[in-house]
Amino acid sequence: MPKLGTVMRTTLVAAIAALATATAATARTHDTTLTGAGSTFVAPLLAQWIQPLGSAYGYSLQYSAIGSGGGIAAVTGRTVDFGASDAPLTPDQFAACKGCVQIPWALSATAIIYNLDGVKNLLHMNGATLAKIFAGQITKWNDPAIKKLNKGVDLPGQQIATVHRSDNSGTTYNFTDFLSSASPAWKSKYGKGVSVNWPVGTGQRGSSGVAAGVSQTPGGIGYVDVAYALKNHLKYFAMQNRSGKFATPGLKGILGAAAAQVKPDPTTNELSIVDPPTKFKLAYPVSTFTYVIVPTSSPKAAELRKFLFWAVTRGQSYGPKLLFQPIPKSVLVVAEKTIAKIK
Amino acid sequence: MSSHGITRADVQAVNLPRRRIVNSAMELLAWLAAAIAVAALFVVVWSVVKRGAPALNLDLLTKTPVQFALGPVKQGLANAFAGSLVLVGLATLMTVPVGILIAVYLTEYAAPSVRSAVSLALDILNGVPAIVIAIFVYGLFVVGRGQSGWAGSFALACLMLPLVTRSTMEVLLLVPGSLREASLGLGVPRWRTTLSIVLPQTLGGIVTGTVLAVARVAGETAPLLFTSSIVGTRVSWSPSHALQSIPVAIYELSESPDPADHARAWAAATVLLAFILCTSLAARWLASRGRRRLSTSR
Amino acid sequence: MQAAESPRLSDRRFRAGDAALQLVAGAAALAACVVVGLIVWKVIAGSLPSIRAYGVHFVWRVAWNPVLGHEVYGAGSFLFGTAVTSLVALLLAAPLAIGVALFLTELAPRFLRGPVPALVETLAAIPSVVIGLWGILVLGPVLRDHVEPALHSALGFIPLFGPASSSGSSVFTAIVVLTIMILPIVSSISRELFLGVPRELREGALALGTTRWEMVRGVVLPYARSGIAAAMILGLGRAIGEAIAVSQVIGSVVGIHWSLFSGGDTLGSKIAESYQGGTTKLQVASLIYLGLILLVFSLLMNVAAQWIVRRGARRQGVGTNRGALG
Repeated sequence: MPKLGTVMRTTLVAAIAALATATAATARTHDTTLTGAGSTFVAPLLAQWIQPLGSAYGYSLQYSAIGSGGGIAAVTGRTVDFGASDAPLTPDQFAACKGCVQIPWALSATAIIYNLDGVKNLLHMNGATLAKIFAGQITKWNDPAIKKLNKGVDLPGQQIATVHRSDNSGTTYNFTDFLSSASPAWKSKYGKGVSVNWPVGTGQRGSSGVAAGVSQTPGGIGYVDVAYALKNHLKYFAMQNRSGKFATPGLKGILGAAAAQVKPDPTTNELSIVDPPTKFKLAYPVSTFTYVIVPTSSPKAAELRKFLFWAVTRGQSYGPKLLFQPIPKSVLVVAEKTIAKIK
Repeated sequence: MSSHGITRADVQAVNLPRRRIVNSAMELLAWLAAAIAVAALFVVVWSVVKRGAPALNLDLLTKTPVQFALGPVKQGLANAFAGSLVLVGLATLMTVPVGILIAVYLTEYAAPSVRSAVSLALDILNGVPAIVIAIFVYGLFVVGRGQSGWAGSFALACLMLPLVTRSTMEVLLLVPGSLREASLGLGVPRWRTTLSIVLPQTLGGIVTGTVLAVARVAGETAPLLFTSSIVGTRVSWSPSHALQSIPVAIYELSESPDPADHARAWAAATVLLAFILCTSLAARWLASRGRRRLSTSR
Repeated sequence: MQAAESPRLSDRRFRAGDAALQLVAGAAALAACVVVGLIVWKVIAGSLPSIRAYGVHFVWRVAWNPVLGHEVYGAGSFLFGTAVTSLVALLLAAPLAIGVALFLTELAPRFLRGPVPALVETLAAIPSVVIGLWGILVLGPVLRDHVEPALHSALGFIPLFGPASSSGSSVFTAIVVLTIMILPIVSSISRELFLGVPRELREGALALGTTRWEMVRGVVLPYARSGIAAAMILGLGRAIGEAIAVSQVIGSVVGIHWSLFSGGDTLGSKIAESYQGGTTKLQVASLIYLGLILLVFSLLMNVAAQWIVRRGARRQGVGTNRGALG
C-alpha cells in the first residue's frame, strides 16, 4: 500500500475517534435515567427527590420544568418517560396520549405574589377584585376596592403591573380556575385554561420567570407556586375564601382546601379543590393537586412503578418545608392502585 | 461608470465657508458613530466581565447545579460545561468531513449547473433562522424518541456546515492550477491529487473556517432549546440523553429571580465570551499566517 | 510517489479511486441538498393542520387565544412585532454602521484602522443569549428608570412613546438589543464596500475641490449604493431571525400596541417561548406556521440581497465581489 498522505491520515484518525466516542457513549446507558417534563409548580418538590432517589434506587432523575402544557405534549409524544401537570387532562388529551394514566402525587397552593415597597406581607385580597386587576379594570394600588379589603393600611398610588405566564401553565389553569369561580365576568370573557388571552400585563416563562418579573417590577402582582414565594422572599396575599375568612397558602390552608374533595374522580383521578364551598372555613382557595401523567405501557415500567410508589409515600415527607401538604390517605389509596396499572 | 452626485454647487468657491461647516459636522457625526459603536461593545463586555469575574470560581467548573435550593448552597455548572464540549465536539466531527467533501465536489467534479444548485442549497441553509432549524430537528429526531445529544449536535452541525464548506471552497480555489496539473502530469490519479496534494495546502484554511464555525456555534441557544434541554444535574458525557449546555444554562438562569443564579449566569457568560474571543482571535491569527505562507510559497 | 508509473486510463485502481471520491463527495453534496429540502418539507408539513384550518388569513389575523374550546390563532400580532422591532432597529443601526464604516475608511488615524474594525466585529461574535442576559438585568432597568420616562414626558403626545414599561421588558428594549446585533454586520460589509471604491474616483472628486463629505456623498456612497442596500437587507434578515435575545427582553404580550414601551412578541420569540409547551395539535401546527412565515421572510431577504448585489455589480461592469458578502 502506498504511504498515506497527511490528510488521509488525519481524516482516518478523526473518523476512528468519532466512532470510538460513539460506541463508548452509547454503551453507557445502563445507568437508569428517568426523564420527565412539565409543571413548574411541582418542580421544587421534584428537585428535593433527585438526591434521595439516586441513593435509594440508583435512578437518575432528569426533569425539565417547561410548563404543564409542555409536559402533557412531551409525554404524549413519548419524548419523556413521565409528564407532570397541574391541569388535569381533558378527554381529548387522554385520547391523544394513548393509554396514559393520571396520578395525583402532590398537593400545594398558588401564592399571589406582589412587590410593593413599604407595605406588610399578607395583605388581604379576594377573587373578584383580583379578577378586575388582571382584567385591567383596577390599575392603581390605592383603588377603593383594594383599600376596602385592607382598612388601615396606607396604600400608595403606585401603578399595578400584572405578570402572567407566557407558556402553557398548570399554575395559570389553577389561577384562572379560581378567578372564573370568583368572578362570572372573568369566566365569560377569559375563562380558565393553561393559557388565556390576557388583556394586560407582561408574560414570563415558568414560575421562576414570574417570580423574577414581579421582584423586578415595582407594583407588580403575579401568581406562582408558594414554594417560589418562600425561596425568593416575596410577599403574597391572604386570599378570602367563601366563608369570608382570609387564608394564607400554608399547610393548614392547603389541608383545609383538600377536604373539599376527598376522593378522586373514578375515571380520570382528577380532584378539584379550587374556591371550596362555605363550610370549609380554613381553606386557602387557590390550592391544587398536581398530577403525574404516565403511559401504562412503557419500556421503563418497573422503574416508573418503583419511582412513583416512592414519590407518593416517602417522597411526600420532603414536601412540608416547601409547603407541599402530603397527599391525604384517600388519595394515596387511589394513586397506588393506579400506579400498579403501569406494566 | 456609476452615477455620481457632485453638483456645481459643491465645487463653487463662493459656498466654501458653508461647505466647510457641513463637512466638519459630518466628520463629527462619523466620529460619534464610531464612538457609539465601540462604546456599545465595551459596555456589554464590561457589564458581563464586571459581574462575572467575581463569581468565577472553581466551583463553577467542578460542582453541579442544585435545583431549588432553599438556602445558600455551593453549586456550579459542571454539567453544562461537559455538555457543551460534547455537543460542539460532536457537531464539529459531523460537519468537517462533510463540509470538506462538499467543497471538493463543488470545485473538482461538479458541472456548473450542479454547482449553482448546491451553492444555492448551502446559501438557503445559511439563511434559515436557528429557531426554525430547532423545529426541524425536533420533528426529525426528537418526536417519539426523546431529546438527545445527537439531536442537539445535529442541529448545531446544520448551522456550521455552510460556514465550513464556504471557507474550504475559498481556500481550494486559491490552490494554483499549476500544482494540480503538475501532479496529474506525473501520473498521480485525480483522487490522490485532490487528497494528498491539494487538500494539505488548504489545511490552514479549513482549520480557520472550522475554528470560526465553532466560535459561532458555541454560543447558540435556539438549536438546543427543543433538542437538548430536558437535562439532569449530573455530569454526563453520553450523547444518548439530552445534555445541558452553557448557552441554554445561561438562558434559563437569566430568567430566574435568584441573584445567586444571576451571578452564575454572568460567570458562565464571561467564560463563554472568553472562549469565543480567543477562538476568533486564533482563527484570525491562523488566517493571517496562512495568507503569509501562501504569498511566500511562490 | 512512484514516478515510474505512467498514467494508464485502463488502470482499475486509477478509475476506482476517482469514482469512489466522486461518489462520496457527490453523496455529501446531495445530503446537504436533501437536508435543506427536508427542512422546507418538515416546516410545511408541520404547519399543514393550521394552514388547513385558517388558510392564508392566519398571516394577518391578530389573535392568539389558546383557551380550549375558544382556540383561535393568527400571526398578525407577531408579524407586527417582527416588523416594528426589525425595521426600527435597522433604522437606528444603518446610519450608525455607515458612519462607523466611513470613519474607518476616511477619517480614522492609522493606529485605529486595525483595532477598531476588529472590535466592531467582536460585537458580532457576542452570543445572543449573553446580550439577552445583559438586556434583562442591565439595559432593561436603565431604560425603564431613565430613558423611557424621559422620552414619554418629552414626546408623550406621539402614541409611540406611551407610559414607561413597568419591568424593563418592552419592544423598545428589544429594539436596542437588535440594533447592537445588526450594527456589526452592516458596518463590516459597508467598510469593505467603501474600501473598494476606486482611488481615481475619490481623488478626481477631491481634485475638483470638493470637501471630503461632498466626495463621500457624491462618489463613495453612490458607488457603494447597491452594496449598502444588500448589507442593510442582510442585517434586517439577521434581526427578524433573532429569537433568543428578543424572547428574553420583549415581555411576551399578544396584540398590536402602538407604544414602543409596551410589551410585544415577534415570530421567533413566540416560537422560542411556546413551542415546547404546545398542548393541542392545532397550537403546535400554528407555531410551526409562524416558523414557516419566518422562513419565507428570511429566504426572501437572502435572495433579495443577492439579487441587489448582482444587479449593482452588473451596472458597474464589475465581477460580483462575493468575497465581501460571502
